[in-house]
Amino acid sequence: MRRVKLGLSVLLFTLVLSLFSAAVLAQDVHITVLNSKGEIQAQLEEIAAYYSSITEGVTVEVIAAPVGQSPFERAMALYAAGNAPALLMLDPGDVLLFQDRALALNDEKWVADAIDGSLDLVTAADGRILAFPVTVEGYGFIYNRPVVEKALGGPFDPKTINTRDALRELFEAIEASGKGALVIAPEDWSLGAHFFGLAYATQAPDFAAINEFQESLKRGEVKLAENVPVNGLLDTFDLMKEFNYDRMDPLASTYDRGTQLIAEGEVGLWFQGNWAWPQIKDFDTTGGQFGFLPVPISNNPADLGNTQVPVGVTKYFIMDGEQNSPAQQQAAKDFLNWLVYDPEGQKRLVLDASIMPAFKNITIVPEDPLAASLLEYVREGRTITFVLNLPPDHWAEVGASMQKYLSDFVDRNGFFAEVEAYWRGL
Amino acid sequence: MQAAEKRFVEKLKTYLLFAGPTTLVFITVIILPFLFGIYLTFTNWDGISKAYTFVSFSNYKTVFQDAAFWTSFLRTVKYVFYTVILVNSLGFALAYALTGNRVWGQNLLRTGFFVPNLIGGIILGLVWRFIFSNVLVYLGRTFNIGFLSYSWLANPHKALWTLVIVSVWQYSGYMMIIFIAGLSNIPRELLEAATIDGATGFQRLRTIVLPLMVPAFIVTVFLTIQRGFMVYDVNLALTDGGPFKTTQLISMHVYEKAFLAQQYGVGQSQAFFLFLLVAAISLTQVYFTKKLEVEV
Repeated sequence: MRRVKLGLSVLLFTLVLSLFSAAVLAQDVHITVLNSKGEIQAQLEEIAAYYSSITEGVTVEVIAAPVGQSPFERAMALYAAGNAPALLMLDPGDVLLFQDRALALNDEKWVADAIDGSLDLVTAADGRILAFPVTVEGYGFIYNRPVVEKALGGPFDPKTINTRDALRELFEAIEASGKGALVIAPEDWSLGAHFFGLAYATQAPDFAAINEFQESLKRGEVKLAENVPVNGLLDTFDLMKEFNYDRMDPLASTYDRGTQLIAEGEVGLWFQGNWAWPQIKDFDTTGGQFGFLPVPISNNPADLGNTQVPVGVTKYFIMDGEQNSPAQQQAAKDFLNWLVYDPEGQKRLVLDASIMPAFKNITIVPEDPLAASLLEYVREGRTITFVLNLPPDHWAEVGASMQKYLSDFVDRNGFFAEVEAYWRGL
Repeated sequence: MQAAEKRFVEKLKTYLLFAGPTTLVFITVIILPFLFGIYLTFTNWDGISKAYTFVSFSNYKTVFQDAAFWTSFLRTVKYVFYTVILVNSLGFALAYALTGNRVWGQNLLRTGFFVPNLIGGIILGLVWRFIFSNVLVYLGRTFNIGFLSYSWLANPHKALWTLVIVSVWQYSGYMMIIFIAGLSNIPRELLEAATIDGATGFQRLRTIVLPLMVPAFIVTVFLTIQRGFMVYDVNLALTDGGPFKTTQLISMHVYEKAFLAQQYGVGQSQAFFLFLLVAAISLTQVYFTKKLEVEV
């Protein structure tokens, strides 16, 4: 009996001891990051693992929002489950919806180093800065230099493509050389948010006027059929349809197929943004000879959009101020500071994840040719607004209408009627 | 009086002992969210903000004005109509062929037909997406078969049929199992007596087997109707509503309204409305098919 008692007390003692050590270990701070840029999921996981390994007592875990799903849906579900990540990567238009739950970041050092205007969309009416700008992105026609130069029989100066006629000549030259001129990715997000996004961006050079254009669409005061830039944009789209590599079955094409076609030099141009680089790299046969062309919307080189590409901050981190402990919030702040100010953090963000940072103090230049091409446009001041404050379902609704127009299911007037109806119905 | 009360307490105790945990779970994960969902239909909540206001019935008014909701609903009715007919007739045909030792390898075939039902809808959708957009197109172009040369998934007139085909493939085997159970319950002596009286195979099927199979049909038709209206995973993985929303079934429309368009109140109202419609359709079906039941 005594022996049993002794045995029991030893057992109890070990149990208590192990509980204590568990409690000590639990002091470790664990933070979660919601990533909504699917193309850099692996790179972010590596960055998080590296950061966890160099910091005592902090572990960072990256979870993914599925590609093609809106990050808002994922964030909402995580909040409803009481399991919000410390950092959530959101689209610019969604940030302010989280203003009850996000932490104000006004006191952070990086606020002063963020590029001009990058915090405007994420500052609440009461002046709280709610988000950290993750990446600058831009889009246009990606061109494959060897294909274009072979078609032209000489060196190619991208600045010569500043009118629709010049674009047509380029398409014709590429087709004559036996390659496809371009391929159109038929995804609704690409057509709705990016291609038709140009229709708003080319209305005016300043943000306020573009906003006013959206407001008047909501009020039903705009006749798209009479709008010159919109018609010009669709004329260009007609031209693209005519030369589309997949014109036999335009909706059966995919983003993945486009990546492969442009990278392997089957087509000369592809309408997409610098986010496509990690995938293009996998198939690249040119040694990285890619760049951007603007999407010309008229035959006058001076018109807005003919020599400029849209560039803007497309992803933001908000920091949860509700379901994470102060220690976790501090760990998240440290992580962001590490990315912006630590040379190793900068290097990993810019070079490994191919991200164009939105901070003036980061001088590392991305190695990828698409980001380098965009940077050139930015330095020369040849940019227009990347319209990022569109309504949340705009890409899906207008994207569906664009798909109809792409596959000749509706004509231009039918398309305009659908877009006008969408805006009026908001 | 006292005795009756005591008996009630006894009964309650037994009930709580056996069904108490289940009842608790049922109330917390089904009933309460359901009621809370109905409560949210009267608000303009966007899904994330902490503040929302009451808007009384205006969300329901929006449901009636939302043309996309109704086109999507009619499209779903069309989809359900074809899947219910095809799944049940194919399931019954398979079951009839695979009972009574008429076919060699009967059990293997049964298992084979049932397997698609064990694959998750998302994976199934992705597999079939590859078949429709790559395999069939490749075959069509190689052998010059006109209607296969273009991807069905990209064609607004054919894409809904890809959903029907995949659903039939997925559920026929499941319904077949239910029909097999029903068929093996038919008394053999009835069929033998009919054979002795000179009934042909078709006469036996029409006058004995089918009437006695009505209870099985009640279950299978109910299941296929309910699953058809609620389908989401295959819709998402196979067509994602495309091309341009021509295959967006009602569940997906409701989901996008609530989570993508950030109109949670409206989405919730549509979901509740859909619940009422599906309940009404299913109950009517059960009520009328029950009248067809016969006693042996």
